[in-house]
Amino acid sequence: MDAIKNTFLLALLCAALFAAVLASAPVQASPPKTSVEDVAQGLTCQCGCGLTVANCNHPNCSFSVPVREQIEQMIAKGFGKRDILAFFRQKYGEKILSAPDPHGFNLLAWLTPFIMLLAGAVALLLALRRWSRRTPSAPQTTVSPDHYEVRLRKQLESEVQRLL
Amino acid sequence: MVFIGNFALALALLLAVYATGASVIGARRKLPALVESAAHAMWATAGMVAVAAAVLWSALLHNDFTVAYVAQHSSTTLPTFYKVTAFWGGQEGSLLFWTLLLTVFGAIVAWQNRRADPVLTPYVFMCLSLVSIFFLGMLNFVTSPFARTVPPPSEGRDLNPLLQNYWMAIHPPSLYTGYVSATVPFAFAVAALITCRLDDAWIRRTRRWALFSWFFLTLGNMFGARWAYEVLGWGGYWAWDPVENAAFMPWLAMTAYLHSVMIQERKDMLKVWNMALIGLAFALTLFGTFITRSGVISSVHSFTQSGLGPYFVSFLCAVVGLYTALVLYRLPQLRSEAELESMLSREAAFLFNNLVLVGIAFAVFWGTIFPILSEAVRGVKITVGPPFFNRVNAPLALALLFLMGVGPLIAWRRATWRNLTQSFSAPAALGIAAGVAALAAGIGQWYVLATISLAVFVVATIGAEFGRGMRARQRTLSESAPQALISLVAKNNRRYGGYIVHLGVVMAFVGIVASSFFKVEVKRSVKDGQSFSVGGYELVYRGISVKDTTHVEEVDAVVEVRKGGRTIALLKPARLFYKREQQPATKVALRQTPLADLYVVFAGLDEKTGMATFQAFLTPMVFWLWAGGLVMALGTVVAFWPDVREREAIARALERRTYALDAGRAVEPLGG
Repeated sequence: MDAIKNTFLLALLCAALFAAVLASAPVQASPPKTSVEDVAQGLTCQCGCGLTVANCNHPNCSFSVPVREQIEQMIAKGFGKRDILAFFRQKYGEKILSAPDPHGFNLLAWLTPFIMLLAGAVALLLALRRWSRRTPSAPQTTVSPDHYEVRLRKQLESEVQRLL
Repeated sequence: MVFIGNFALALALLLAVYATGASVIGARRKLPALVESAAHAMWATAGMVAVAAAVLWSALLHNDFTVAYVAQHSSTTLPTFYKVTAFWGGQEGSLLFWTLLLTVFGAIVAWQNRRADPVLTPYVFMCLSLVSIFFLGMLNFVTSPFARTVPPPSEGRDLNPLLQNYWMAIHPPSLYTGYVSATVPFAFAVAALITCRLDDAWIRRTRRWALFSWFFLTLGNMFGARWAYEVLGWGGYWAWDPVENAAFMPWLAMTAYLHSVMIQERKDMLKVWNMALIGLAFALTLFGTFITRSGVISSVHSFTQSGLGPYFVSFLCAVVGLYTALVLYRLPQLRSEAELESMLSREAAFLFNNLVLVGIAFAVFWGTIFPILSEAVRGVKITVGPPFFNRVNAPLALALLFLMGVGPLIAWRRATWRNLTQSFSAPAALGIAAGVAALAAGIGQWYVLATISLAVFVVATIGAEFGRGMRARQRTLSESAPQALISLVAKNNRRYGGYIVHLGVVMAFVGIVASSFFKVEVKRSVKDGQSFSVGGYELVYRGISVKDTTHVEEVDAVVEVRKGGRTIALLKPARLFYKREQQPATKVALRQTPLADLYVVFAGLDEKTGMATFQAFLTPMVFWLWAGGLVMALGTVVAFWPDVREREAIARALERRTYALDAGRAVEPLGG
């Protein structure tokens, strides 16, 4: 029973992590409808504000305002998000993208956190299995005593004693 | 006056050197009087740094422009309040402020432990004094706050306008307090490693310091976010800027530490892990300081860039290297016979919580340093900004939320199916029902739906815990519900304080998700009397009013806010012009409600056409982020409250150790 539970838990955790990786994958299978906001979030403003073009805090910024206008025009002409980002990348270099393009060396940026997390999860699961093997199994039918329940009961008993 | 400041700093350095030497020699040669003198030296160090701080404050308040720091960060027209806060507005002042906090905390530790544990304490003093030596060395030899300007200017350059905001008055001190107080548990960990006193006594003795540090890191991050929200004028509060990340990472490490020490206290396992976590938390505070000061990574918050990077990175490497070597040296003694009955237990849930927290910290660290790595390897500058951090951290944050719901209700040691179904059926059903209701209400984003479900699940588990304890009290002692609630929390403050913190985290999380997904932004240019809409609000421009002082010119745009045909508020977003700095700034106008914030920026005025340009944001539920921060702080205060049982536990831990020493099982201190 224990083995089934542990296997089930392991499978559940692996599925959750896999789903998490998929959900956060940088490349989307079907690109969403392009909006100025969405594209502008993908570009870093070069005015020195340190924010994205969408969030630049200089209302009359000499960089983000014309770039937003240009994005609008390109969307009107039917360009998609990927094309527009590629255009700006070619014009200003890679630093204009607000997140690394998931190719080549930059793939490391996206994958390393998840690889490390998976490695950590595997190490933790192995450690847990080792530790749980070391421990003799308690009878399955009994609910393990909850320390807090015991403490709460003792606390109440002592208070009742004081009241009596 | 400047001479007094320099003299006080030099003396403080000498005293810190003495405290280090006296504590080590006193410990090794078993000379308690020498260790006591080290404690006295630590008090004197704090006193001398306080004198230096008083001198700098005095110079700021008296516009003493012979001091370069005052000339660069203040002016005669700067309001007195900001002259006080200019103390931490620049490089040298903020380092002095850091050192002041460090030496004062050192003095408090020396006072608290003057009669405690003659073996461990001297090494705690040594570690705290060594860290002080580094900062005092910087202040004395590298970046003095009392450097002179010759000839002195008649007027100062003023404080950076972005720092002239009340949140900046409390954000840096809170964050620094959180950063610096992490040194105390770290110093105890080092002392425990050196003396091989590796039981849980050092953890119990520093629990309050760790909580104190976490409390201020939480507040520091919240205040910083609030500052960004009110001052930067882009309608958001968190941009994953390197300096923001640098403040967030120690918070994550400290959160993981606060959870994992519970397992060591209870089961005497995870000793290596806890040592690693507190070392990581301390190293990340140094890393944060390095990022803020080095200018190696460009940041919107780096107001104090300088050439201090190499010093900090050297110190950081030395700390990490020595600490790692110490942990490796003690590895055989740190290894414990860890036992775990089941993977379905609270211990396992806590460990997964640690994995996720450290995973997020790593992802943030990785994203922060990746631009440097890319430039070093490929020679190409790249940016790692919000889209990266949001995508990578979003699923991890959900996992953390889920574990926050599981942790409090799952049984220690071994959860049976009965325990699981009994504890989680109702919260899980409520969570799923909330998600379905949200879907039916038209919310289509999977992340929002998951957040709603998990938030309700976590709140339900916390509610169940409170309900269980309250019902027991009401049944047995016939207490009223409020009475039962107060007594329950008062008598189990550590546990329920933790639940209150969790509640705050859920509130903040919901606020973050709602404000990120459903923000509405409108930019319009209008003439006097014309209006535009944002969300359900109608904003009517009613002209401008000008306030002019010697320090700043403020042009307010008067905006009438109407809803349902009636006026509900009058907002005054403004354009500011700081005369000394010759720098414009924005003053945001806010109408805050628990449902949504109306955030209006006055972007500019075309004097020829009379058209005023506004940027308006309607940000749902951002209020809950700030409210969540306050609830987290409240929960920490509850958990921090003195607890008789805890003192008994410390006494028991010390007793156990005495027994172990008597039994001859102790290992000699390092090199002893």
